[in-house]
Order: sequence, then structure tokens, then C-alpha cells
Amino acid sequence: MGFLSKIAVRSPWLYRINAGSCNGCDVELATTAFIPRFDVERLGCKYCGSPRHADIVFITGPLTLRVKDQALRVWNEIPEPKITIAVGVCPVSGGVFRGGHSIEGPVDRYIPVDINVPGCPPRPQAIMEGVILARELWLRRLEKLEAGGGERRAALS
Amino acid sequence: MPRFLKILARNLLKGPSTEAFPFKEAFTPPRYRGKVVMNPNLCVGCGICTHVCPGGAIMMKESEDQNGYYFMVWHNTCAFCGSCRHYCPVKAISLSQDWHNAHYQSEKYRMVEHHFVPYLHCSSCGAHIRRLPPALAARIYSHSSVDPATIIRLCPDCRQLATAKREGEVHESSPAPQQP
Repeated sequence: MGFLSKIAVRSPWLYRINAGSCNGCDVELATTAFIPRFDVERLGCKYCGSPRHADIVFITGPLTLRVKDQALRVWNEIPEPKITIAVGVCPVSGGVFRGGHSIEGPVDRYIPVDINVPGCPPRPQAIMEGVILARELWLRRLEKLEAGGGERRAALS
Repeated sequence: MPRFLKILARNLLKGPSTEAFPFKEAFTPPRYRGKVVMNPNLCVGCGICTHVCPGGAIMMKESEDQNGYYFMVWHNTCAFCGSCRHYCPVKAISLSQDWHNAHYQSEKYRMVEHHFVPYLHCSSCGAHIRRLPPALAARIYSHSSVDPATIIRLCPDCRQLATAKREGEVHESSPAPQQP
């Protein structure tokens, strides 16, 4: 492992997928990142615009029928090892939309979710707790990946 | 003196506006709606909370041996709206200030407030009855001559019988109305 990959592990990049959210949780995610009061960038995290640069992905929303294919396609673009955080009760269980005719979720029917942060919406501090959990898990997976060599998927499971 | 220097000086004195949260405890407003807490000693099992819950997070189910009922709130579908607290007639449900909700996927189905509320037995016939807290009984029977302490130990059928007997006695002891 080179010098760059050693220092890079301090800084997971974040990415958001809106899977049919009401925008409440997205506002809280933006709050967590951009308002100096919470400032998730202190923890070395940074939002990125492309899924291919992401390490930790937030999913909000109950995964509606309309957005399901696109959301899964974007999720598949994110390189392993990725940590998926379900933010809000909708991706975790469907929330108040559970059982709706256009709801394909909960998200863990299609995507292996690692961390759940329930709330409607969760407060920024709770999201930060989720990020901290995700970062620990991500570091553990990176270690496993290094130990396991080229066999990525096998090392992760 | 230019204005921005004033602002600069003020900001230097004020310190950073960033919360120290992950390293220190975060400020929580006193009326913050966090995880639902239920007091099983107060619950009467009316089920209005399951009816009003928008997320369908609350479940009340009779136990297998029919000795009581389970009360469950799954916080992963709870919207923390506080409807259950608002509609609970006996104030058994409250919302704590606990917002530490982030958890691993393996703990997803353990984010539950779970209680078992046992039934009482009717002091007359032994049937299972839901509990009626003494404070609530006193409120219900405040305008009546009935002793709430005895009536909360009776099942609805025996309560009816007791009332019929008592009313009958009252009518027998009072003089019959004069026929016109």
C-alpha cells in the first residue's frame, strides 16, 4: 500500500441518493455538511458529486417504483468497499409510506444496508453518529480487503 | 474604524460556532421528541395509540397464554410525531429525549420498546380483565356513590351484575311512586 492510500483512509467521501424522499432527510444531510454548527467535514468527510468517488453512501426515501432502477444503478456505480447508510425511517422500514402502491422499499430488500439512522428526519447529530459508525466499519472493511488481496467480494462477506 | 474589523474582533472573542458534538454531549432541547417510552403500570390497553400512529409503529398483541398483552413500539418506523402521547388517555406514553438512533443493520429489529402488561383476574368470577388504574377509576366514578376500589377488581359482566343488584336495592328501599 502506497503512502497515498494510507492517508486516504482518514477521509471517506460521502454521496447521497434520494430514493423518493420527501426532501426532509436531504435537508438534514445538507445541514450536517454545510452549516458550521455541525460541520461533518471536521471528521474528514466530504460530499462528492460523482458516485464513483464515494465511499459512504446515504440513501433517503422509501425507494419508490419510479426511482428504483435509477437508484440501484447509481448505487452499483459506487466502488467497493462502500458503506450504505439508510437515513430516515423511510429507507429503513418504509415509514409512514409502508404498504403504499408505489413503494418498493424498504431499501434493504435490494441493497445490503450497513447502518440505519431512523428519524423523521433524524437530527444532524444522529446522522453524524451514523457517519462515525460507518467510518469505523469502512476502515475495518478496508483492512479486510488489504488482507484478502484481489478477491474483493469474498473478503467483504 | 472599518466595520469589518469590529466583526472580526467580535468573532475572535466569540470562538467557533461549531458544536463539539462527537467529542462532547450535544445540546438537546427539553421538549425534543426522541424514543417512545411507555409505562406499563399505567397502560389500560385501550389501543388508541395503535389507531393513531401514522407509521404503524405500535403493536398490541395478546400473549400466547392469554395472561396479558404485549406492547411494542418499533422505532425504525416511528415518525416521532408524538400522536400516541397526545391521545393516550392515561398518559402512559411519553417521548424521551433520547435521539441516539444510529445503529448497525444487525440491530435493526432490536430498536423496540417492549413491555408485557399482565391482565388482572376478576375478584368475583376469575375472568381476565384489563387493568384499570385506581386514579383513572376515581376520575370515572367521581360523581357516583360506587367505591372505585372494589369495582376495578370486577370484570364488565360482574360489574353489570353488581350495579343491577345495587340499583334494585335502592328501588326496593325507596317508596313506590303513587299511581295517578
